[in-house]
This record gives sequence, structure tokens and C-alpha cells, in this order.
Amino acid sequence: MSDVIANLALGFGVAFSTTNLLLCLTGALVGTLVGVLPGVGTIATVAMLLPITFGLPPVGALIMLAGIYYGAQYGGSTTSILVNIPGEAGSVVTALDGFQMAKKGRAGPALAIAAIGSFFAGCVATVLIALLGAPLTKLALAFGPAEYFSLMVLGLVFAVVLAKGSLLKAIAMIVFGVLLSMVGSDIETGASRMAFDIPELADGLGFATVAMGVFGFAEIIRNLDHGASMDRELVQQKISGLMPTRKDLKESTPAILRGTVLGSILGILPGGGAVIASFAAYTFEKKISKTPQMFGRGAIAGVAAPESANNAAAQTSFIPLLTLGIPPNAVMALMVGAMTIHGIVPGPQVMQKQPELVWGMIASMWIGNLMLLIINLPLVGIWVRLLRVPYRLLFPSIVIFCAIGIYSVNNAPTDVVLAGVFGLVGYWLVKHDFEPAPLLLGMVLGPLMEENLRRALLISRGDWSVFVTRPLSAVLMGIAVALLVLALLPALRKKRDEVFVESEN
Amino acid sequence: MSEAPGSANDPIVSSGRIKGPQDFWGGIVLMGIALFALWASSNLPGMRGFSFGPGTAPRMFAVLLLLLGAGVALTGLFMKGEPLQRYGVRGLFFVTLAILSFSVTIRPLGLVVSAMLSFVIAAYGSPEIKWKETLIVGGLLTLGCSLLFPYALGLPLDLYPSILR
Repeated sequence: MSDVIANLALGFGVAFSTTNLLLCLTGALVGTLVGVLPGVGTIATVAMLLPITFGLPPVGALIMLAGIYYGAQYGGSTTSILVNIPGEAGSVVTALDGFQMAKKGRAGPALAIAAIGSFFAGCVATVLIALLGAPLTKLALAFGPAEYFSLMVLGLVFAVVLAKGSLLKAIAMIVFGVLLSMVGSDIETGASRMAFDIPELADGLGFATVAMGVFGFAEIIRNLDHGASMDRELVQQKISGLMPTRKDLKESTPAILRGTVLGSILGILPGGGAVIASFAAYTFEKKISKTPQMFGRGAIAGVAAPESANNAAAQTSFIPLLTLGIPPNAVMALMVGAMTIHGIVPGPQVMQKQPELVWGMIASMWIGNLMLLIINLPLVGIWVRLLRVPYRLLFPSIVIFCAIGIYSVNNAPTDVVLAGVFGLVGYWLVKHDFEPAPLLLGMVLGPLMEENLRRALLISRGDWSVFVTRPLSAVLMGIAVALLVLALLPALRKKRDEVFVESEN
Repeated sequence: MSEAPGSANDPIVSSGRIKGPQDFWGGIVLMGIALFALWASSNLPGMRGFSFGPGTAPRMFAVLLLLLGAGVALTGLFMKGEPLQRYGVRGLFFVTLAILSFSVTIRPLGLVVSAMLSFVIAAYGSPEIKWKETLIVGGLLTLGCSLLFPYALGLPLDLYPSILR
């Protein structure tokens, strides 16, 4: 326990330096600013803003990126409450009740509850990270290549089970992602793989490039299908009275608590993350509510629960990244990219060798959440004005900003072309109802998986049974198989579809 | 997805015996990608002794993708599913063109010309384009980016055409 306090104290020491506080604030504000824009999700926001952190020292860069991440999430919920278009997938369910509240002139309390819920969830998640960090790091050090491989298989299975829509298609997307990750030089032999002697492909496909294409450009092209006018029903009333009433607080307190618990758990699971957490929290809340008919008509619990859950999940998803070095979702994968640029390889070693980096970032998350709570409520007016910018002017700006961002990563024009190509690929995927998120996860975990698979087989002298004869690995594989079987059972499939059905109507 | 009627996403009437064209064609294209990957990695050495060669994993996953693609295609063939969605042409064309023009012009012409040009091209992607406002916003954005990236963030970007430098 004293370890935890000492670690947190170290973290707060780092985070409370003037530069880092400023970076945290800038990150949170810029993240919110971009996250508020309709049609720009969290992943696109983080990918787009990645280059602006390149010039910073590692700790500062990570603090700022983390700030961008939860800022973007906060911005997303603001959009979904004020306009009926959620800025990002995680906020889809918030839009259901939040927008109804806004229509009744209660946008203020809805925004306030979203912020309070997020802040509370953030506090709990920060403590949770501090508590779980050290023991999980110890566990990670006992992992060999076989265990790592099995753990990643388990993570991908989780991602498949938790993904929306068809299981088969989700698995196909992961495998596609893994294949994409293999373009470029082979790690062990240096042989050029599927690169067709194109020098720009020798290093492989950049993760940020693909993410920007699939989540940034593809989304814009898709939005343009609807005609640029995208009928945005912006709430026209003036937002007055931010304070929730006592009745609001009474109704939302248990919802916030439940959302936080659910979100924290789903965030730690590899393949989980903010989106599934908010869906699950909303469904759960509706199920146990005494007045389920109020949901979808402006129930404040329907805002409080998913908002707490997605913020809790956003933060606890740092746990597998920081302790095991395995990014559980696409945003964390981008964080890996950012860390690699600064020469940091996430995993148990970082926890031990650069504690100030890890704990500084964790502490700054809490500070960032506090900042969002204090700053953003008064700034709601500005965000609303931003929402009035017509899409016909917004989308070319996003295109240019993304293009400059990608170019600046390597100063390579080819990267921009590749992002464009992946924009088209992403658009095609969406049109055929394939989820792009598992693709990105596959792409991130691909190299890690291949490396560990090869090492495990080398150690076992080509014996594949190593994955089931080593106890830890066998347990992980067992869970993975059991999960897949469960997911294929009709009863559970129905439940799983129910969770996502909210967004369809 | 709930699409507004009359938008570009109106389903094309499904044709013939394929019950779920969206899945069917999705699966077929995935199979194509898998075959392409198999062909592209066919010259790489595979498994040697205990250890993997560079070609083993790509081939393993390509075969897996081939099977999964076939699975998706078969689902589309026999199970009733979504029809194909219509593609919007205008947005697709101009956004892609803007990205290409940026990548071609950024080196020789510098950020100022390149960003402005691509902004105008991208703006064409919407039928509601208004000239004056596009030029003003494009100019402001170019100015903002020219200040933000090279100066505020210290990234090595050339601002002006290479002849003027």
C-alpha cells in the first residue's frame, strides 16, 4: 500500500510541474476542440494530433496525448448531447437520452452530469491503475514468449466477442490487420515482405497512416454521401442553469457508480474499451431501472451511466498497455506509436526503469479530468458556436490538417498517398459493414504476436504443444477457446446483439 | 445504420440468387486480398527446421483470411442479408484528389500553395461549395497551419515553392 502512495506521490510530483500542467491543459483543450467536431471520433482525433507532440520530451508528449484522448472523449459527449450526431462511437448511447434532455431545455444538467460522472470515474480509474500497476508488472515479468502469444490471442478473441456485428467478419478484419502489419522488413531476417521493392514500404505501413486513412478520411467521404448539409438539429435554446437539481443527483449517483464499475472492468479487458463500456452500461441501467420507459426520453441515468463507463474504460485501458505492453484497443495502439517515436517500448520494463514517466502520466490523467470538469462547463458556449460551423467548410479543413499531420511524421509524401488509399479501403469496409477497429488492433498486435510466436517455437524446438503444456499459457488459451465457444452459442449471441441494438433505433 | 431516404445510401435492388450481396462481395474481395498476399509472399522462404522463415507467418495468415473471406462470402450467398449500398461519387473523388494533390505538391511547392490548393479541391467534394467563403476559410487555415506546424511545433516543413527558396 505504501508503494502505491509513494508511486502516486512521485507521479504527482512530475505532473505538477508547470510545463506538464500546461501540456495537460493544452492537450485536454485541443482534444475537446477537435473531439467536438461532428464526424471526428476519438481515434481520428488522437491520430490527427499525434504530430503536434513530436517535439516534446517523452513525459510531456505522453501527458499531452493522454489529455487529448480524454478531451476528445469529453468533446464527443458534448456533441452528442447538443447535436444529435455523436462525435464518436462511444457517445452514441449518450446521444439517446442526452439529446432528449437538451430538447427539453435541460442541456445544462445533462452536460454537468456527464462531466461529473466522467470525473468521478476518472478518479476511481486512476486509483485502480495505481493499485494494479505493480502486481501486474510482476506477473508480466514471469511471462515468456508462449504466454505473451496466448495472452494476445485471448485479447483478440475478446476484441472479436465484444465487436459489433458478425463474429466471422470481425475475425476476418483482425486477420486482415495482422497481414497488413507484415508488410515491410522481417524482424529477424530483414527480408523484404510484400513490399514490392518500394522503398517507402520497407519500414512497413505506418500505424498512424492507416488509422488516419481508415478513421479520418473514410469517415469524411462517408459523411459526404449524405450531402454535406448533414441535417444537424442543433439545440437552439440558450443553455441556462448548468446545475443539476437534487433530484437529478439522486437519480444519477447510483448510475454513475454502476457505470464506473462496469467501465473499469471492460476497460482492462483486452479488446474492450470505451465503446463497449458505454453500450453495456446503458443497457444494464435500462434493464435494472424501475422506469425503463423513461430511457430514450431524457432519463438522466441514461447520460450518467454511459459517460462514467466510457471514461473509466478509457483510463483503465492504460493498464494492459503500461504493465504488459499490450495495447487493448486502437487508441492505445496509437499511444504505442507515440511512445516508440520517443524511443520507449511500453511494457513491464518501462514501469521499473522509468517510473517517473508512467506515474507522471497516471497522475496527469487525474489532473486532466479535474481540468475538464472546471474548464469545460463554462466553455460550453464556445463549443456550441463551433458546432455551427457548416460541414462544407469543416471537412476540407480536416482533410488538410490530416494531410499535413501525416506528412510531418516522416516528411514522406508517400505516407499521404497511402493514407488516401486506406481512406478508400476504410470507406469500402464501412459500405460492406466491416468494423475497422478490429483491423487496427490486428495491425498493432500482429508484429508482437509474430515475434513471440517465433521465439516460443524456437525455444520449444518447433513443438507447437508449448502453448498448452506451459500452465499459464494453457490457462489463457483455455479462456480464449471457452470465450469463442460461448460467443457462438445462440443464447449469448442474442444478448450480445441486444447490447448494440440501442444505437440502431 | 438509419439512413435518410433519398440519400446516396439507398439500396440498389438486390439481384438474382445472391441473398446477401453486401456480405457476398465483401467476402469475395477479402479472398482476393488473401490471394494477392499469398502471391506477394510466395518468393519468401518458409519454415526451416524449428524456426519460422519470413514467409511462414504471412502465408499462414493469408490462408486464414482466404478461409474467412470464403466464410463471409458463403454467408452472403445463402443467408438473407443487406443489399449493396450505393457509393457517393463526388465526395470520394474530390477528397481523394485533394489528398493526391497535397502529396504531389508539398515537396516542390511548399506548404502555403499546397494546403490552399488542396483545400479548394477538397471543398469541391460538397455540392454546397460557396466560392468566397471557401477562399477566405482556406486562406485562414493555410495561414494558421503555416504558423502552427513550422513555428509553434518546430516541424521541418517548407513554406514556399522551392524556386523561391
